[in-house]
Amino acid sequence: MTSAEEAAGDVRGDGGPLPISATGLRKAYRNRTVLDDVDLHVGPGQVVGLLGPNGAGKTTIVKSLLGMVHLDGGTATVLGRPAGDPAARRAVGYLPEQFQYPAWLDGRQVLEVHARLIGLPAALRPGALADALRLVGLAGRGGDRVGGYSKGMQQRLGLATAVLGRPALVILDEPTSALDPIGRREVRDLIRSLRDRGTAVLLNSHLLGEVEQVCDHVVILDRGRVVSSGALADVAVGAEVRVTLERLDNAAHAILEGFGRVAAVDGDTALVVLDDVAAVPALASALVSQGHGLQALVPLQRSLEDVFVDLVGASAEGEGR
Amino acid sequence: MIVVRLTLREAANRKVLLVGAVISVAFLLLFWLGFAVGFNEAATEPDPLESAAAATLMTVLGLYAVQFLASFMAVLLASGAVAPEIESGRLHAVLARPLSRTSWLAQRSGTFAGLAAMYIVVMSLAILGIASGIAGYGAISPGRAVALLALEVAVLVALGTALSVRLSAIAAGVVVIALYGAAWIGGIMEIAGAVLDKDGLERIGVAVSLVIPSDALWRGASYYLQSPVYAAATSVEDGIPFAGSAAPSGLFVAWALAYAAGWWMLADRWFRRRDL
Repeated sequence: MTSAEEAAGDVRGDGGPLPISATGLRKAYRNRTVLDDVDLHVGPGQVVGLLGPNGAGKTTIVKSLLGMVHLDGGTATVLGRPAGDPAARRAVGYLPEQFQYPAWLDGRQVLEVHARLIGLPAALRPGALADALRLVGLAGRGGDRVGGYSKGMQQRLGLATAVLGRPALVILDEPTSALDPIGRREVRDLIRSLRDRGTAVLLNSHLLGEVEQVCDHVVILDRGRVVSSGALADVAVGAEVRVTLERLDNAAHAILEGFGRVAAVDGDTALVVLDDVAAVPALASALVSQGHGLQALVPLQRSLEDVFVDLVGASAEGEGR
Repeated sequence: MIVVRLTLREAANRKVLLVGAVISVAFLLLFWLGFAVGFNEAATEPDPLESAAAATLMTVLGLYAVQFLASFMAVLLASGAVAPEIESGRLHAVLARPLSRTSWLAQRSGTFAGLAAMYIVVMSLAILGIASGIAGYGAISPGRAVALLALEVAVLVALGTALSVRLSAIAAGVVVIALYGAAWIGGIMEIAGAVLDKDGLERIGVAVSLVIPSDALWRGASYYLQSPVYAAATSVEDGIPFAGSAAPSGLFVAWALAYAAGWWMLADRWFRRRDL
């Protein structure tokens, strides 16, 4: 079990239901497998990034959680209710990947429709609408017709509908696809503020930097399979370690070779690519027990991009793609 | 009822209501003018049946045009009920809310059927009102006629909605209009079979009216729209073209109701099973 799953568990600490708990999701279209045994857990207040190349199955997962895609196998619950049960969506906000809002309404009317759909009491609606518009930077434009909005403004309106009424879970599918760099930064801030108020967020994205900056946990998908998942810090830990000894002699070199490949040597420092990421303590004790003065042993963090390219690129090569 | 309001607003903003109203007013003016001129000429005839025939012919054919407009309105609205909403992504935002697909579909198609039926009611009242005002015209049963016409648009909306779950708006519209045309031909075959006393032809017409009951519903309605004097004096041979000369059987009306309900249930089933 990954640390993300451990952190999530089946129920949250206060006994309330998990925002998202999905196990063994399967989906195939004719004979093309889209999801193959996918597990996904999102705990309260967690921001989980769903990463993967185009066509990896990210949107299919999201749609299955919202009851728009019927699964061939596996079980999924949203806020404690089976995915597909309309009641499960009572406290969920969603920005679809392909978003469009009725061009003949103005921004506030779109939000008004959604406020009614989630059953927000009439007395709370004006405040909730203003709150949502302000959060996404549309405060002055709520009275304009959606037909006159730019694509970026429509996406902001979609974000406003997603955060309307302070849902317990917000699902964002490529939320910055139509936004400029400033808009993207604002969305990152918005996601952070959601987390600060305890909202769980599932962020679908292929923008690694975006995920790296806001997510606590990541799930990396490739062709319908989870190839890595866990806390961002754990996933990004690589198999590379930098070892500095008092004296890097042949005997020490032989020990290092026993744990992996020595990629580079600079004086008494070696860069070692371990065969097993978990072998760091064993390597340290081997060096110490053989009497090599161990000055430093540093596991190197990699960027999410390196991890992603390694995982997704490697499997692509394996398929001869 | 939120989807009903949203759908009404959509119809209003797509100018469906405005264009429909403008054309209808123009049509009513034309009908009023034609009826007044035609009836004044017929009123000079010595035989009272002549003037009853003229009034009946003009009223029935006027409502035939109304039926035609309402049917096309129903087909055009319903054939775009689902597919364009999915393709544009408008549906996803709405269905991510605690709203079942069945409720959404019922509200949307119900609004379309309601709009078309409302159009039937308003226009029928207007046409019959003009005929009554000018000629003192009274139909056999305006209420039954309007109910049958409303059932006709309900049939078309249910069929169009079902097809719009599986086909693009244009494809669904083309199929429903083609079936509507087939029903019309079937109706002519049934009348021709009766006039020429050819059973085979009549049976084909009846079979078509079971496959797509739109024209047979119109013919049933058109019987109730005639003046009692005229209906009693004529038979199918010298009746009004495209109009019926007998009340529809209860069995047929039940079939048409089941037909509309069946297509709607199929629409719902297809829509619930579909991946969006």
